[in-house]
Amino acid sequence: MLAALAVVLTALAPRLMARQQVFRREPRAALLGWQAVSLAALVSAVSAAPLAVHVLALGGAGWASWAAVPALVLSGLVLGRLLWSGHLVGTRLRAARREHRLLVDALGEAVDEEVRVLAHPTPTAYCLPGLRRRVVLTEGTLRTLPTDELDAVLAHERAHLRERHDLVLEFFTVLHQSAPPRLQVPKALREVRLLVEVLADRSARRVAGPVPLARALVALAGASHPETALAATADVGATRTRMALLAQDDAPRWLAPAVYAFSACVLAAPLALLGLALGSMGA
Amino acid sequence: MNAVPTKAINRLGELERAVMDQVWALGEAGEPSVSVRQVHEALLGSRDLAYTTVMTVMTRLADAGLLVKERSGRAHLYAAAGTREELTASSMLGQLQGLPSADRRAAMLHFLGDATPEEIADLKAALAEVEQRHGRSSGGGRR
Repeated sequence: MLAALAVVLTALAPRLMARQQVFRREPRAALLGWQAVSLAALVSAVSAAPLAVHVLALGGAGWASWAAVPALVLSGLVLGRLLWSGHLVGTRLRAARREHRLLVDALGEAVDEEVRVLAHPTPTAYCLPGLRRRVVLTEGTLRTLPTDELDAVLAHERAHLRERHDLVLEFFTVLHQSAPPRLQVPKALREVRLLVEVLADRSARRVAGPVPLARALVALAGASHPETALAATADVGATRTRMALLAQDDAPRWLAPAVYAFSACVLAAPLALLGLALGSMGA
Repeated sequence: MNAVPTKAINRLGELERAVMDQVWALGEAGEPSVSVRQVHEALLGSRDLAYTTVMTVMTRLADAGLLVKERSGRAHLYAAAGTREELTASSMLGQLQGLPSADRRAAMLHFLGDATPEEIADLKAALAEVEQRHGRSSGGGRR
């Protein structure tokens, strides 16, 4: 049962959830839902094999106790793979950020503790998360954007930093990379990235209003920048989606509570199965 | 003790910038290659700093490719690897970091990804929709 649940939660649920576009209108609840599904999948995957063996042994199958060792090894492998992937992803991210922060600090003009302006004509905006966080703009950005649009961009980046969206993304990246390749769902990772952007957009529109934010999106999209041209454009269409969301009504009232309830159920499922299995021990 | 103020300054990354400024300034004054001591003395005018702190920062800047390290007898000399504009351009192209572009990109959260001309036209149409939805007046348009 748990093994089936693990597979469903790892492979099937993300595909289905990635298709539910209504979630995008309630990004905070949606991200929580995604985390619940991932955690539940993880709990199921780690506990499935040892529990199965345990139950069989209790059922009187004499050979089952011999299966305990491989079952534990399997769980160990799942856990080990996850920790190793977490270590790799985290180390690489932090090294890249440290290195880039040095460049930005040495070359950029400090506007305040966080914001650095680079002497470059191409408009762009990004942030470097972490304890010593930075928002990076260029002189081109300052020339291109009027004040209210600049406010929207800054509010967007500051929301990323304040709410530590990088940790959310890191969590999902680690899970994604540690899942067996066949069970990986790249679409889910893209959806989560989009949700993080939508969440930051909501902060930005509260600060600056939807119209300046929408204009800033167009203004910065129009100025192609060499850095992203080199990278794969995995998020083609993401900007269009964010624009469309700015023109939409707020999500229906029931949506957020529904997603929270769904998250709770998903998390409870493997725990309930665990409890059930352990309960049968006593019997 | 100067350890505390130095740390406070460095937390903001201000020292890296100050060191680069000094190297560029000395370069303009006809000294393209400078020692840590020269930079340290130039910086001492405005702040309280340990020599070793400046040395550490200059080593890191050299590792990052912003300074070029040269050997001159027993001492090391440093020269700027380019003007601020040149180095900024290289940095934005990712040429200063020896990382795969996917790694570098994952390290940052960009305001947006790249767009093709068709997408930009599409975005402009969508902007009109947002403007219409929220009234043409910009700023504070949120109900």
